[in-house]
Amino acid sequence: MAVAAEEAPVERRERKSSSITRFTRPVLGIVIPVGLAVVWEFAVRAGWSNGRLVPPPSRIYEEFAELARTGELWRHVVVTLVRVALGFALGTVAGTILGAIAGYSIIVRRLIDPSLQGLRAVPSIAWIPLFILWLGIFETSKIALIAVGVFFPIYLGVMGAVMSVDRKIVEVGRAFRLSGFAMVRRILLPAVLPAYVIALRSGLGLGWMFVIAAEFMGASEGLGYLLIDGQQLGKPAEIVAAILAFAVLGKATDAVVALAAAPFLRWEDRFSAQAEVD
Amino acid sequence: MLVLEHVGKTYANGVRALDGVSLTVGPGEIVAIVGGSGCGKSTLLRAISGLDTPSQGRVLLDGQPITAPHEKIGIIFQEPRLLPWLTVADNVGFGLDDLPRAERDERVGRAVTRVGLIEKANMWPRELSGGQAQRVAIARALVPRPEVLLLDEPFSALDAFTRADLQDHLLDLWADAKPTLILVTHDVEEAIVLADRVMVMRPRPGCIHEEIVTDLPRPRDRQSAAFDFAKRRILAALDRSLDRLTVEHVEPKATAGAALWW
Repeated sequence: MAVAAEEAPVERRERKSSSITRFTRPVLGIVIPVGLAVVWEFAVRAGWSNGRLVPPPSRIYEEFAELARTGELWRHVVVTLVRVALGFALGTVAGTILGAIAGYSIIVRRLIDPSLQGLRAVPSIAWIPLFILWLGIFETSKIALIAVGVFFPIYLGVMGAVMSVDRKIVEVGRAFRLSGFAMVRRILLPAVLPAYVIALRSGLGLGWMFVIAAEFMGASEGLGYLLIDGQQLGKPAEIVAAILAFAVLGKATDAVVALAAAPFLRWEDRFSAQAEVD
Repeated sequence: MLVLEHVGKTYANGVRALDGVSLTVGPGEIVAIVGGSGCGKSTLLRAISGLDTPSQGRVLLDGQPITAPHEKIGIIFQEPRLLPWLTVADNVGFGLDDLPRAERDERVGRAVTRVGLIEKANMWPRELSGGQAQRVAIARALVPRPEVLLLDEPFSALDAFTRADLQDHLLDLWADAKPTLILVTHDVEEAIVLADRVMVMRPRPGCIHEEIVTDLPRPRDRQSAAFDFAKRRILAALDRSLDRLTVEHVEPKATAGAALWW
């Protein structure tokens, strides 16, 4: 009762100003970064700061344009993207299979979960020396490190999702004599899909985190290399440009996963569904 | 013909939920099972459905023992349990996956029309009201044409108006193919409206305490004197089933147990 009473006025207020909010809501989110950028640009132009360590937006843009013009930017972006894609694919396959089995079978869960949870507690960077010894300094060790990072959130997410599938829904499947593969395809898979998409997205986020760690361990290409290069040569604009590229790529790949999954999740009865329609 | 032979169920934790339930239900008959909570009504229904296997005794459908869910037995649960990722029509057609598409669509279309939801056929379950969702569940259970339809307190979560409406609707649908209906309920009126025979169960361990044949003409008038009389008979039997608990249940339990010792 109290909830309904509180919600009603909010709804009315939003509806009244919907044409304004549609425009202002996204704008509101960029006021602070754009404002800071403008202020900083102005401060450097006015000579209050030389902007050497903190480059103004115009210098970052120049750096970006320069990297793009020479083709450097695309080379680094593609190398990093390929690493993330391969590591993400490996980690996803392993995490999905092991997570599904561990969620389904109590025995397997008791067998492998404690070890995996132990490994999960190891900081990612700690693997680097071992991976370099085992897999060499080149691509393989980097992709392995990314795969490790992607693996854990997906494993955990899939295991949790399979374990928490509603017994009542599974029973519907049993009442219709589904078993084995049919039960997985028609009941379990759709039931875990929403949680699986979230697991994929957090796995992808970690993939982007780990690719930098991987590229710090001695790469000659990639956005992580660009960061190190910028640091060693004292080019802060290059560092910021690489960071911006990471932000754009991370957000874009996440959006791709979310968009690709959206058609399969239209049925969801979600608390946030209404908010996203607005 | 559905036959229960001394069906008993003891759970892994030692609780005896059912003990020596025997029952014969003819084709097209409607039997209601009523009783206080915890008297094993739902356990009995699950044993008939094959979702759980009885620890003692057996369930036979046309002479064939039921040990797992069977295509001739449909079940409707207390909640609609629709699959949220399927549209209303796909939910109704869930049990018809083996049929060719054309026939499936035709049967689903007919069933959805029959429960009055044709204009909602392409909606998601979340867009339905409770009563509509339960009607979809009824259509889903009936569309494979079961010989026996089990209902586990199917309308208990609905308001009184919707419930009465759905009871009449269920009878309508039943009249199409006349499957055997076995209905678990704690609503005595519901039992009288629907059933030919009412089984009153008694808890600890769950067994049939009394059988009451209502024998009222259909359609049944909820306001008639005969209806009221039947209601009082069942309520009295329910009272007895709980009162005698302490005095009587020791003996039958011992004999039933002894009978199974060989």
